[in-house]
Amino acid sequence: MAKAEKFSVVGQRVQRVDGFDKVTGESKYIADIILPGMLLGKILRSPYPHARILRIDTSKAEHLRGVRAVVTAEDTLKRPWGAFFADQYILSVGKARYVGEEVAAVAAVDLDVAEEALALIDVEWEPLPAVFDAEEAMKAGAPLVHDDKKRNIAVTLDIERGNIQRAFAESDIIVEDTFQSAPQWHCSIETIGSVAEYASSGKYTIYMNSQTLFNARYRIAAALGVPETDIRIIQSAVGGGFGGKSCDDNNALVAAILARKAGKPVKVINSREEEFLAGCRPRVFMKIDVKLGFKKDGRIRAKHIRIIADNGAYSAKAPAITGVAAMRHDTCYKYSDVKTQAYLVYTNKIPTGAFRGFGNPSAEWAVEQAIDIGAHELGIDPMEIARINAAESGYVSPHGNRVTSCELKQCLDMTEKMMDWKKKRADKKPNTGLGLACTVHVSGKRHFGDYDGSSATIKINEDGKALILSGEGEIGQGVHTAMCQIAAEELGVRVEDVEISKADTDLTTFCLGAFASRLTYISGNAVKNAASNVKQQLFQQASEMLEANADDLISHGGRIFVKGAEGKFVTVADAARARLFRHNGAPIVGSGSFDADSVLPDKTRFGNESGAYNYGVQAAQVEVDRETGQVKVLQYVIASDCGTVIYPIGAEGQVEGGFAQGIGYALIEGLQFDEGRPVNPNFSDYRIPSMRDLPPLTHAFADSYEPTGPFGAKGLGELNMDPTAAVISNAIFDAVGVRIKTLPITPEKVLKALTEKG
Amino acid sequence: MKKKIQLTLNGKKTILEAPAHRLLLDLLRDEIGLTGTKEGCGTGDCGACTVFLNGKPVNSCLILSGELDGAELVTIEGLKIGPELHPIQKAFIQDGGAQCGYCTPGMLMMAKALLDENPNPTEEEIRFALSGNLCRCTGYAKIIQAVQDAAKEIRQAARR
Ligand code: FES
Ligand code: FES
Repeated sequence: MAKAEKFSVVGQRVQRVDGFDKVTGESKYIADIILPGMLLGKILRSPYPHARILRIDTSKAEHLRGVRAVVTAEDTLKRPWGAFFADQYILSVGKARYVGEEVAAVAAVDLDVAEEALALIDVEWEPLPAVFDAEEAMKAGAPLVHDDKKRNIAVTLDIERGNIQRAFAESDIIVEDTFQSAPQWHCSIETIGSVAEYASSGKYTIYMNSQTLFNARYRIAAALGVPETDIRIIQSAVGGGFGGKSCDDNNALVAAILARKAGKPVKVINSREEEFLAGCRPRVFMKIDVKLGFKKDGRIRAKHIRIIADNGAYSAKAPAITGVAAMRHDTCYKYSDVKTQAYLVYTNKIPTGAFRGFGNPSAEWAVEQAIDIGAHELGIDPMEIARINAAESGYVSPHGNRVTSCELKQCLDMTEKMMDWKKKRADKKPNTGLGLACTVHVSGKRHFGDYDGSSATIKINEDGKALILSGEGEIGQGVHTAMCQIAAEELGVRVEDVEISKADTDLTTFCLGAFASRLTYISGNAVKNAASNVKQQLFQQASEMLEANADDLISHGGRIFVKGAEGKFVTVADAARARLFRHNGAPIVGSGSFDADSVLPDKTRFGNESGAYNYGVQAAQVEVDRETGQVKVLQYVIASDCGTVIYPIGAEGQVEGGFAQGIGYALIEGLQFDEGRPVNPNFSDYRIPSMRDLPPLTHAFADSYEPTGPFGAKGLGELNMDPTAAVISNAIFDAVGVRIKTLPITPEKVLKALTEKG
Repeated sequence: MKKKIQLTLNGKKTILEAPAHRLLLDLLRDEIGLTGTKEGCGTGDCGACTVFLNGKPVNSCLILSGELDGAELVTIEGLKIGPELHPIQKAFIQDGGAQCGYCTPGMLMMAKALLDENPNPTEEEIRFALSGNLCRCTGYAKIIQAVQDAAKEIRQAARR
């Protein structure tokens, strides 16, 4: 049950701690970093989707005036690296496997020279047969992307829980259909970039706009063959991440080897086109067959899902994403019998990877439509079907996910009310319709080894202000503000008296970074524990000064006093100074750590993947123009269960921003490939939603409390784009009776479906 | 071939030399060292590089230095009013109009251009005026709110 608590800082509408620098243009993003003697780097990329490199001649480029270094695979260990599978190289070794793959690179005094030098690198290519479609790639005789991967299959999952055959036999109706999701590019307005510096002692210092610094350090160290301590990563301000800046690409590695060879700092910034070709790893696109068995009363009795997922040329995070698409949604509703089969398949295209939602948007695009089909066939209101099946606190999914808090039903009630669902359903107008979908997401995910944790340190300065040292990534989402609030709440000080450091792998302690909606929950807990450690030290000192028992003390607004005797106090600053400025004194500094109560899934991928699960419901009312196929979203509502809302302005921003990406995914965003070559790698052809593309949105947060979260909080960041595409498609069906099964839902597709229906 | 260019930049007379083909965006960032103006696309599609040129908002990634002699430029670094934040900057902080902040300098310049022309824009007018400025983070709701709040503040200040 939801539990409301009163907090003095948590949940208040504070302003973001880094707001001033952002509105004045003073924030230093990666391209704004300038080091003395810095060179600019440019990358030569493969023009072929699959080709052998017979010869590379860099001599002309090396002799061009202003060129300081030219690198190829010969300047690397030729050691493959990757998040889950080591299958990609810093620079092509022997062959290139997609258009845009890094083949060679140049560092020069300016970009004009660097680009001129690229043109002077002579590569002799032997084009090879290539494969672009995942289903084709699985067929016998298809060209192999990696010689050792039979039928191009990177991952196979085949998991049954319960007895699927019996469950379908016991079902009253069976729904079966196939849906196709689409790639989606992150399109952070800031592209990926790095500035690398190499000291001849052997240490690399790399400024990155990464969202996962310690993971980046680990991977970069592995690819360069040096100990992790020889890599220092300092985070610049980050202009948006959404999963795309989690070091699955080669940008920083290329900068590092250029810097080593040139003996000078080197900056490498992706152009927008490079970002599309080979920067962030776009959403894994999937073909999904869903089969659902329902009882007459609306209960889902059986679920069978079969996925073919396009890995692109290298694996990045797609192996985990495929697993999420195959299983995560089974934590949304109460299932007993499920079967999931999934294949992740190599093709000669850009590697796919982590994008907000991590497999969920693809799976929900398919499953939430199949549920809607079931609801219509059974003649039950989709809102009711969701209610009948909704997960609740205490639910354990067939894959072992243990739900400690769940307000999905409350979210359904909220959605029903905000949309005025019943009334709108009752007086349905021609060509307008309602759609609904539910979603679940994790708050952290245990998959990089047996750890899903974070750590933080807090020190109290002599003026009484607290400084949090954290290596977790602020990428715009506002986690730094949330962490300052959590520390302030625990310490009993004002939020203005808490600051937070930049992430720097040499100066901040280990943590995994921004992914899996984990920061508020996991780093929030780590910061809270660090603050509680610091508070103990402060109270111990204050107890001497106040001649009171430390257990009787409380702190509020930066003052420490005996409960009920507010008049007699010491300030946090007094205590910090008294403790330090004396013989045998000590600074007030404390660390805290948190590792979620989850387990590393076993070989069959069974195991509670996360410490907490967040839930949401979205609904749309749309109007379809039968003449043009145009879909107009008249109203959109979202209810989210993220536990306690720590930083309301930030949380609202996550919902609004996630929704915008969901609308883009549903209706607008698409990139055409021609023989593996993206044909529209720019913002005029690959459109993302502008201010004019977004419909009115109403949203609210459930009254919710996660018992294992910091002050009851859990994750939120990804929830809001997961189900949006399915919501729109369900609403279109309700409006005009046609179902769109491939993304994006363009007017042409709607029109075609209407014509076919007649 | 470098060319001498005379400018008024954020209110100050400035003389510099640059090749005529150097883009205004690069001139500002690389030669003058004003890195507040951002590059998001380089093709005129995102608005991150918006600055004022002779009183009008332009995409600085599309303007060549050769066209600039005698021009008057205002960048994000010149938006403050003395030491004070401009009301539009204050409203962005108050309402959460910036998440990652990368689109923010361009968005603020464009919002200022709108409010200079139309001190009381409707939501529709804001959506229309700022539709060339892409933001991937916010979903725009808080940006629209901030522009409305700034407009109100500016109107009230004018009456005071
Ligand atoms: S950088 Fe100029 S419009 Fe995008
Ligand atoms: S705030 Fe990140 S792009 Fe607008």
